[in-house]
Amino acid sequence: MSNEFKVLYYVNQFFGQVGGEDKAGMEPEFHQEKVGPAVGFEGQLKGEGKVVGTIICGDNYFNENKEKSLSFILDIVKKEPPDIFVAGPAFNAGRYGVACAEISKAVAEQLNIPVVTGMYIENPGLDTCKQVAYVVSTSDSAGGMRKALPLMAKITCKLAQGAEIGSPEEEGYIPRGMRKTIIVEKRGSLRAVEMLIKRLKGEDFVTEMPMPVFNVVAPAAAIKDLSKATIALCTSGGIVPAGNPDRIQSASAQKWGKYDVSGRDALNAPDFYTTHGGYDPVYANAIPDRVAPLDILKELEKEGYIGKVYDFFYTTTGTGTAVSKAVEFGTEIGKELKAAGVDGVILTST
Amino acid sequence: MKFIIITNNPLVAEKYENVLWTDGSVEKTLIKVRDLVYEGYELVSHPLAASLRMLFSPYRSIIIGNKKEKLNFEHAEIIDTSIIKYKNHMDLRKTDDLNRDDYKRIDLLLLEAALDEEKGKWY
Amino acid sequence: MKLEIGRIYIKDIQLGTETSVKNGVLTVDKTSLIAKLKEDDRIKDIKIDIARPGEKVRIIPVKDVIEPRVKISGGINGFPGVSAKQAQCGDGKVHVLYGAAIVTVGDIVGFQEGVIDMWGEGAQWTPFSTTFNLTVDINVVDGLDPHTHEETVRIAGLRAAEFVGEAGKDLQPDEVLVYEMGSIFEETNKYPNLPKVLYAEMMITQGLLHDTYIYGVNAQTILPSLLHANEELDNAVISGNCVAACDKITTYQHQNNSTILDLYAQHGKEINFMGCIMVPEHTTLSGKMRASDYTVKLVKMLGADAVVVSEEGYGNPDSDLLIICKKCEKAGVKTVLITDECAGRDGLSQPLADTAAEAVAVVSGGNVSHVVTLSPADKVIGNAKAIAVLAGGWEGALLEDGSLQCELNAVIGATSEIGYHNVTCRLY
Repeated sequence: MSNEFKVLYYVNQFFGQVGGEDKAGMEPEFHQEKVGPAVGFEGQLKGEGKVVGTIICGDNYFNENKEKSLSFILDIVKKEPPDIFVAGPAFNAGRYGVACAEISKAVAEQLNIPVVTGMYIENPGLDTCKQVAYVVSTSDSAGGMRKALPLMAKITCKLAQGAEIGSPEEEGYIPRGMRKTIIVEKRGSLRAVEMLIKRLKGEDFVTEMPMPVFNVVAPAAAIKDLSKATIALCTSGGIVPAGNPDRIQSASAQKWGKYDVSGRDALNAPDFYTTHGGYDPVYANAIPDRVAPLDILKELEKEGYIGKVYDFFYTTTGTGTAVSKAVEFGTEIGKELKAAGVDGVILTST
Repeated sequence: MKFIIITNNPLVAEKYENVLWTDGSVEKTLIKVRDLVYEGYELVSHPLAASLRMLFSPYRSIIIGNKKEKLNFEHAEIIDTSIIKYKNHMDLRKTDDLNRDDYKRIDLLLLEAALDEEKGKWY
Repeated sequence: MKLEIGRIYIKDIQLGTETSVKNGVLTVDKTSLIAKLKEDDRIKDIKIDIARPGEKVRIIPVKDVIEPRVKISGGINGFPGVSAKQAQCGDGKVHVLYGAAIVTVGDIVGFQEGVIDMWGEGAQWTPFSTTFNLTVDINVVDGLDPHTHEETVRIAGLRAAEFVGEAGKDLQPDEVLVYEMGSIFEETNKYPNLPKVLYAEMMITQGLLHDTYIYGVNAQTILPSLLHANEELDNAVISGNCVAACDKITTYQHQNNSTILDLYAQHGKEINFMGCIMVPEHTTLSGKMRASDYTVKLVKMLGADAVVVSEEGYGNPDSDLLIICKKCEKAGVKTVLITDECAGRDGLSQPLADTAAEAVAVVSGGNVSHVVTLSPADKVIGNAKAIAVLAGGWEGALLEDGSLQCELNAVIGATSEIGYHNVTCRLY
């Protein structure tokens, strides 16, 4: 007689042992057995639960066919609803993280099934799912699997038993942004005085209400005379030359590209197209200038409204790209533009 | 100093002349205040009440002052965050209809106290 | 100033034919008390009752809570400027019936709330479930305007506390606490190396049901003022705040202001506690600017290294709290703030609508929207209908078995912003 609870597991093509980048376009499949990390995970359940199946899907396929993929996956889950749904861990993999996040959200919100997953704190998928799922905090590479699985398993067991999940520090998950009201030993004024003394002594203290920090970037001074200014065109809309020679990713970009447009009047098809995985590409592919308007800039240059269009066009993909990466790209591109004497930038995003 | 009172409280509309009446909810009143602040009017009283219970009041009166050339950014921030905070609380709640009359009276009394504070000023 | 607070421990309470304390049992002569309070002919009738910790008794709606005391020497007995003639508070000897409380019941308006449950889940969330409460339910004559109604109830509560406090006059206290502080110069000479700390106590001062009084003066009319810590501990400050149960500072909590007590405990040890700045919370923006500028000016004139700032109320006072914080921090004065938060019923909303990057040290009194379940009481003191108001106005608040779900904001003292209670929020 088994009172074991049932777990359905989700992994991508790599952890599902199908293949690497080459198989990132694979459609979702369901295997009525445990595959990849699901094996180690089940071991960590110590007999209290078992993995009844694994869903595998290619990272690119999921990100480019979200509706279809979710529909397939939700159907599987609905057919034989598990007690808990587990995904990943995705570590810092952007596309995998986004997939885990979207699936977690759908399963939790539409089917009311508790979800456990794991990610690195900077994974772009985190914000989507941290409130609806328990996201164990992992390292940024798959080397952290050994540490992640036991933590994920422990939370899974607790959820299945209806036991209370402790604080993020105790259980190892990323704070979900929920303010939990609790009764503590010391009264507020005593905690305030203790905090005061620590602060006065320069010791570390923990505020009970962290303020959100808004990263404010001071705007540059206005351009005095546009007719003399050099303006550069930059986009996060993923417009790249045909063939995507620098292999800029369609999501969770790891790099940016720089292309000489000095001899061009526009970023017209088929010389350019979009590789961005986050929007319907039809109109962008028809006229890429819709996303990055080089054509208009060139017109303005001819009219004398602006002085000159900078020779190079900068591009990358914004979707699923980590904030830290975006800061990195911006700093690098900004440095080049400044050194080249560019006065202003038109930066488009989608 | 010339004031305008934005209110949905009939007792206030009865008592004062310089009233801009919003025939609707507190949220509608707050939004009207916001629109006027964006046009350049300055806030005189803070858009929110001082207690949670008064936050639930179906009536709210807010005082605005002179119209300036430029938008006062701090005041815009105040009315914006007030609307957010108000909606945070009230979107999930039913209005307290049982005590409408009491809320009308207290809103008026609090308004009077605020107007009292602003007597004798010219700027 | 030197104030000796003699605590007489109260272990039980009962109504009887005399007013006395014998072996820790407080007996209150109900008839005489009613007669004394009815000297105010604005009062129609009074109901006196008892609520002991652990009894399945619910008190609702609570107007104020006051500690019964009697001044033995120094100043005057009572609340100067209100129930007694003007006299200086903060010096001398006072006997406190420690563990007893006068709870005034009765609403001036229908939407007033405030519950004290003496048992069960509700009891954890209020500090007054552990005091032996004498409830005073006051009905006024018809036709009183709201200001007079509130004043009548307020004064009756204070006089009741005096009447009961008399019982401690000739007794030997079980414990004596001494609060002694010389002038700021004397103390700084004694402890030249200790950081100088001020306590900026924000008080709700916005009009009827939202008032605070210092020596009987309505604090809406004052500029931020210095107050010696002993004064507040000795009846100088009383509450006219009749709304927002969770974060109102009751008169009892002024008399026993926990921020003052905890700062005092560190005076001469880790800090040089210089005293209090009483800060009015104005409705108007000009008032807020004036009060914050003035407070920070006092802080700078006194050369403080740090300020603890507490709040009263919710909504517009949040902006005063953060403005004072910003101005202090910019002037190089370190702050610690005590406030409560609203994170929604599910705890997921951002706690404060305003934010200030400078507010790096904040103590949270808890989420005002946290939902608690109160089981049905055996006895309700006050107005049972007020329970409908408690329900906070959303679906499913009254459960089938008679249990009541309400938000923490309806429980007296639950999210105290002077840090009186032991509730907080953690990020989960």
